[in-house]
Amino acid sequence: MIIIDKNKRNILLFIAAIPLLYSIQGHAYQSPEGIMVAVSNPQTKDIKADDDFTVDDEDEIKVNDPFESFNRAIFKFNDELYTGVMKPIAIGYRAVIPEKARSSIKNFFTNLLAPVRVVNAALQLKGQDATNELVRFGVNTIIGFAGLLDVARDDFNIKIKKEDFGQTLGHYGMGSGPYLVLPLWGPSSVRDGFGLLVDGVYLDPVAYLDKTEDYLIVRFIDIETTISLDKDTYEAIKKDSLDPYIFIRNAYTQQRTGAVNK
Amino acid sequence: MNMVKPAGLIFGIVFVFFSQTILAADSPMDQLKSTIDSVITTLKDKSLDSEARRSKIRVLINDRFYFRAMSQRTLSRYWKKATPQQQKQFVSLFSKLLENTYVGRLEAYTNEKVVYLRERNKNAKRAVVYTQIETGSTEIPINYKLARKNDKWLIYDVVIEEVSLISNFRSSYAEIIKKEGMDGLLSKMEKKLAEVPVKTTNAS
Repeated sequence: MIIIDKNKRNILLFIAAIPLLYSIQGHAYQSPEGIMVAVSNPQTKDIKADDDFTVDDEDEIKVNDPFESFNRAIFKFNDELYTGVMKPIAIGYRAVIPEKARSSIKNFFTNLLAPVRVVNAALQLKGQDATNELVRFGVNTIIGFAGLLDVARDDFNIKIKKEDFGQTLGHYGMGSGPYLVLPLWGPSSVRDGFGLLVDGVYLDPVAYLDKTEDYLIVRFIDIETTISLDKDTYEAIKKDSLDPYIFIRNAYTQQRTGAVNK
Repeated sequence: MNMVKPAGLIFGIVFVFFSQTILAADSPMDQLKSTIDSVITTLKDKSLDSEARRSKIRVLINDRFYFRAMSQRTLSRYWKKATPQQQKQFVSLFSKLLENTYVGRLEAYTNEKVVYLRERNKNAKRAVVYTQIETGSTEIPINYKLARKNDKWLIYDVVIEEVSLISNFRSSYAEIIKKEGMDGLLSKMEKKLAEVPVKTTNAS
């Protein structure tokens, strides 16, 4: 959820690039996969005896989080905003609008973001994925009522493959840099936060709306739709884990590592 | 005549051995599917009160989850440092926490479609079963990692959208152990279990 006056785009991008450049330079000596790498210990590659699972063929996830106390403060702010404002609205929304309709709205927004996926798949030279996304966009826009229906998935079995600029940077070997919790947005990293800005400013059609209010309204509906369709994942994490901050940080890191390698 | 007996005996042994391998030949996917199906059927069973439903599910889950392995993987190097008493207590608390997490999530997705995609046997003792939950607007890939114990395939990790549950527990628990020691972790887990379950809203 980035709100930007179009004239200020380039300045913002430049400012955002500073920590990014710092993070690349400052950690250039680190392993090629980046700072937030999944470190696997060669010794643990062997399968151990049946009754010993203390070591296994699993990768251990290391997260670089030098701004933890700052991140935790933002996390708390996001938590309060979500629990106090966004979620109650989503619950009301659930009660009023049927799930099918909300699914369609979600499909519409997903379809609208096709440029992000097409361009980033192309930047990573994933020709098949880029073509698929282009076809999906054409099919869903034309015969799927402007993307309300995911005809490409349901009738042509062409499935979505998410790509974004953070993944593109990761694909070319850039590490994720320090973990960041972004206000309103949630878990991210220096690399992915920068990617979000690039995608959000240049490739997201909603950013081309002239009025800031329009942008905000559209984004608000988008986010509330997503929250309303989600099955209380965040509440479950908060309920079940001893430290939700670490749980989400680790989950985000694993998820992004997986996405980059796909 | 004398030859018949040993031949019959050998035949008998081979037959018994063979039929057992056939019985045990249920693939990891079949075994997993039967558990998940039973859990979902139980969740949908309106004739049971919530207490009965929960205890029935507990039995099903205990039969399929390899809690000791999961505990060892979660604690990794701290497992060996813990006393047998602490290990025992951890397994017991962790099983309950995992059970709550897993059942809670299954409850939320009871009415969605579970698709069993494929299985991959890494070796004789390890396999991965790839499944997917399909909702109206999205697909959630869930991979189960299984280890063979005798003839049973038991779950030792669940990977949801590339996120390994065990890895997640490991990182948060390691931080708590570093700060508060093993006993600190155990008392935190006890406190968590004692909390009144937060009532989640009816998601749809």
